[in-house]
Amino acid sequence: MTKPLIYMNNAATSWPKPPEVLEAVADCVRNPVFEAGRGSGIKSADYVAEAREDVSRFLGAEDSENIIFTSNATDSLNILISGFINARKGCVPHVLTTELDHNSVLRPLHEFERENKIGLGVVPFEKDNCRVSVDAVEAAVQKDTKLMVMTHASNVLGSVQNLKEIGDLLHEHGIFFIADGAQTAGHVNINLKSLPVDAFVFTGHKGLLGISGTGGFYLRDADKIEPTRFGGTGTNSVSLSQPREMPERFEAGTHNYPGLAALSAGIKFIEREGLKKLEAQTVSQTNFIIREFAKQDNITVHNKYPDVPVISFNISGVDNDDVGFILSKVYNIVSRTGLHCAPLVHKKIDGGVGSVRLSLSCFTTDGECETTANAVCEVAENAHTKVCSA
Amino acid sequence: MRILRSVQHKFCADGSYMKEYVLDEPVSKGFFEYLKYFGRVEEMENLGSGFYKFEKRDFFSIKGFAGEISVEVRFKAEVMDMTSSFLLFLFSQFKGEESDIAALKKREASLVKRVKEQLYGKL
Repeated sequence: MTKPLIYMNNAATSWPKPPEVLEAVADCVRNPVFEAGRGSGIKSADYVAEAREDVSRFLGAEDSENIIFTSNATDSLNILISGFINARKGCVPHVLTTELDHNSVLRPLHEFERENKIGLGVVPFEKDNCRVSVDAVEAAVQKDTKLMVMTHASNVLGSVQNLKEIGDLLHEHGIFFIADGAQTAGHVNINLKSLPVDAFVFTGHKGLLGISGTGGFYLRDADKIEPTRFGGTGTNSVSLSQPREMPERFEAGTHNYPGLAALSAGIKFIEREGLKKLEAQTVSQTNFIIREFAKQDNITVHNKYPDVPVISFNISGVDNDDVGFILSKVYNIVSRTGLHCAPLVHKKIDGGVGSVRLSLSCFTTDGECETTANAVCEVAENAHTKVCSA
Repeated sequence: MRILRSVQHKFCADGSYMKEYVLDEPVSKGFFEYLKYFGRVEEMENLGSGFYKFEKRDFFSIKGFAGEISVEVRFKAEVMDMTSSFLLFLFSQFKGEESDIAALKKREASLVKRVKEQLYGKL
């Protein structure tokens, strides 16, 4: 008999979704859409305006018009990075990122470096606490450093970075600071009013419990970033120029209405349940699994104290891909294996071979954590492979 | 034993190309024992119905569980066009104890030379 599915890949895309998210998507598709500037007559729901208010309130932004919707975090990062560089044509700014960052940051930056449009510096993280120190950032800052793009939490190690101290330092040097919150929004409390970031990126389909195809960013000062896409906004249509006001400056084309309806519903679910309560639950479950792993001396957990519910590990003597394959086929547990699109982290923690990652959500049960811990320990116990030869 | 179809495929982080194949009958422990004539076979027999992994350097790896009707194959992408036909032979020519190992070894030998030339140049 097939074992019940245990989904431990929430850092990629969360599953399941709250019932109200599914209902919101169905309602949105079932009924005609109203959006200011793009329709008149019936006013059922303005999904875009509602989602903008919800995201703004949830992330503690000053004004909902500073929230821009895109199709995912990668899209947001591309818009911000390209827009920042385009706004500085004629100079070749030095840009910083970190070893903890995802390819959604590393690849756009490397592309610009390859085209000689930027100089690039990569700040190392400390292996013992999985964080980038303020001192390391300060040491990497050059006279011509104009931008730093860094993750808020590592998608491999689950370590939340000290945006406050790093942001304060960067602002002392007049450096524009983009934080990638793909792994933190919906998992830890974020207050953009007090965080010294110039832009903060989020995605809808992970911790915020929405569906794929939604994401966005908060931008404190719109003038720092040039728009990189142009088209209809439903406003000032007589002009052939892209409006420079927010949010139209960055939002051309029809929005993802079902996705934004889902995002609103996901945020309201978290607010109703209480972010603190949900965070405490997943942190406690994550710690339980890590404690169970500690009983097997051939399991290496790469960060024993993650701040978000992410556990990366390897079992000595077994390829990470094989561990994922066995978990899937024998125990019906969905994990993720490999480099997790963050190759520089792996160079440091496992020599670049990759790891197995388990990531929890607020829907993960204690029983699922126990079953998963037992399954991984069983694989580790049997890790002494027998080699057959002819 | 025959491959019926591949159900999913992707490029992996190490540059290999993965395909999951569905077979016309469950793969057996005997099949993996037969593969040892062509490469390295690892076994973790206490996991599920027995986990097996076959590795043929520069060609491909095959992993799966005894009794399952699907296996995962990772090809060395650069020479996949040459080695995929050998994979099909390994499955189709498996006849238990009556498998013609000598004939397959002969086919393997000619292919090894071509694969090495493709990967490392004329030796």
